[in-house]
Amino acid sequence: MGSTKILIVDDERIMRESLAGWLERDGHEVETAPSGETALDLLKESRFDILLLDIKMEGMSGIEVLKHVRTTDPDVAVVMITAYGSISTAVEAMKIGAQDYLLKPFDPNELGLLIDKILNHQAQARENLFLKEEYKERTRFESMLGQSRTMQEVFRLIEDVAPADSTVLITGETGTGKGLAAKAIHSHSPRCDGPFVVVNCGAFPEHLLESELFGYQKGAFTDAKTTKKGRLELAHFGTLFLDEVGEISMRMQIDLLRVLEDRVFYRVGGTQPIEVDFRIIAATNRDLETAIKGGTFRRDLYYRLHVISFNMPPLRERKEDIPLLAEHFLRRFSQETNKQVDLISREALDEMMLYEWPGNVRELENAIERAVVVGKSHRILPGDLPIFHPDHVACLSDSTLKEVERTHIAQILDQYDWNISRSAEALGIDRTTLYSKIKRYQLRKPV
Amino acid sequence: MNAPSGQTLLIAPIQDLDIPLLEQIGRDIHRVYGFQTDIDGLLSDIRFSYDAERDQYYSTPILEKLQGLAPPHALKVLAVTREDLFIPILTHVYGEAQLGGRACIVSTFRLCEGVHAPLRKETLYKRVAKEAVHELGHTFNLRHCRDQSCIMHYCRTIKDVDRKSNELCRYCKILLDDEFERLGLTGRVPSAR
Repeated sequence: MGSTKILIVDDERIMRESLAGWLERDGHEVETAPSGETALDLLKESRFDILLLDIKMEGMSGIEVLKHVRTTDPDVAVVMITAYGSISTAVEAMKIGAQDYLLKPFDPNELGLLIDKILNHQAQARENLFLKEEYKERTRFESMLGQSRTMQEVFRLIEDVAPADSTVLITGETGTGKGLAAKAIHSHSPRCDGPFVVVNCGAFPEHLLESELFGYQKGAFTDAKTTKKGRLELAHFGTLFLDEVGEISMRMQIDLLRVLEDRVFYRVGGTQPIEVDFRIIAATNRDLETAIKGGTFRRDLYYRLHVISFNMPPLRERKEDIPLLAEHFLRRFSQETNKQVDLISREALDEMMLYEWPGNVRELENAIERAVVVGKSHRILPGDLPIFHPDHVACLSDSTLKEVERTHIAQILDQYDWNISRSAEALGIDRTTLYSKIKRYQLRKPV
Repeated sequence: MNAPSGQTLLIAPIQDLDIPLLEQIGRDIHRVYGFQTDIDGLLSDIRFSYDAERDQYYSTPILEKLQGLAPPHALKVLAVTREDLFIPILTHVYGEAQLGGRACIVSTFRLCEGVHAPLRKETLYKRVAKEAVHELGHTFNLRHCRDQSCIMHYCRTIKDVDRKSNELCRYCKILLDDEFERLGLTGRVPSAR
């Protein structure tokens, strides 16, 4: 995660603009909305970390916006902005889920401290989620299956690149198994007895990613009570897997480039150079060449990472693997849930083969898990699958891939009342990807 | 000094300010950014930005005015004032800059805090010069830096201003070089890298 995304909602232009300017200079990415209604539209289209929300506005009040946001987007931190005299309303807002409030005009120091506090809290929550995902990923490792020509090609590539010590860049959509491919390369490499250390670069704000990667020396900052080794050190003699590398801030890209070039780094607050020996595998679902053109990714770092590169194919391009994968997940989840589900009906399999799987293998895995849990018989039937919508089967048959995806995402969003986190989970994609798809397909929540 | 001819960074004192203060600002700007500096009082009256209720000056309109007044040879303009500055949402600011733009301003008003004779002027000059270099950094697209010793670090207190160095950290130097390259500028002194 690079800069923090902040949405300012205030019906006074001068307030919006002055705050936006200050926050931009502070390194945040800022958007503004002149009304609660516009804010809700923006929240549907983009992901924000923090919402700075004025209480008193023409039209929809800040409290109404807050109530709405709390049901649709529980992860965004909301800070109410209030004038003197509305403090009781601000306190009321905290009872219904606002993180804090600021009395305007506010001291810049107070604002900075509050943003830091929120970001640290969010990073902690993301890290916990990441650790859970990492655990799931370990159990998922065996699911890197495929008889398709494209997957056979991937397996061959992995075997070819594993013995070399070169940096590898794996590209591909969310849920295609980039992490599994990285782990497979490590397992087949001469470093297989060394550690395989994963860093989800998208999970941390810049300063926390710095501590995570480089570690810190006791006393380097207020909370550094003891010296902590960073993941670069932990990956010594092993493989460092930088997931979501496209999300690293420009500043951290400079640091990373230096490590890649010199294989030496300093802990935060440290003066001793630490030499490290590891292989780097990076992965991204972003088009880094476009990011370079957009000025958000350094060309020199791209060349360092792009030594050997391959793409993980989306599931829709290897549909012949679906039966094998579905069987595999069925066995696993029926065992885990202790339910006697041992068959996938012909009709359910047909549905799976027709569907385009925007969330790829992860979405398929989630779909089978759900089917095993909700199914009433020993066979998975079409109705057990979250992708099955009988009303739409006929009209989808002539649709383009994009139309199918758009329709499916819209259905899932409706099904979960536009709760972004739950919808993303059901689709098997992350929230950021869902937001970008909502934006791309111009989906709107029904009023 | 290898600054391209005609490209200067202009220091615009808004009131009569100590010449040694302006000289110190000029030296620090030259050292960090590598450009020649000129001093020219472009704007002497900022009453148009005065807010009687707050008894402070709103800095954003001053920047807009400065941008319009800046002569063509001035790459950037830095105004220096004794007045207390604010932006509407905040109680005060030490200065303000147009991010990636042409104008910025710094105020000495709150930087006087805690300075006593005989070191009064020396301490104040150092603080103002640091904040001037900081605001100019924003016009070169630099954002606040987490490194507490970097001049682009956002200072929440006067102690923070005194604690930070008068240099850019290595990250900000690289980001500044990138920005110079983007702008097609070659004015930086090599030793500053």
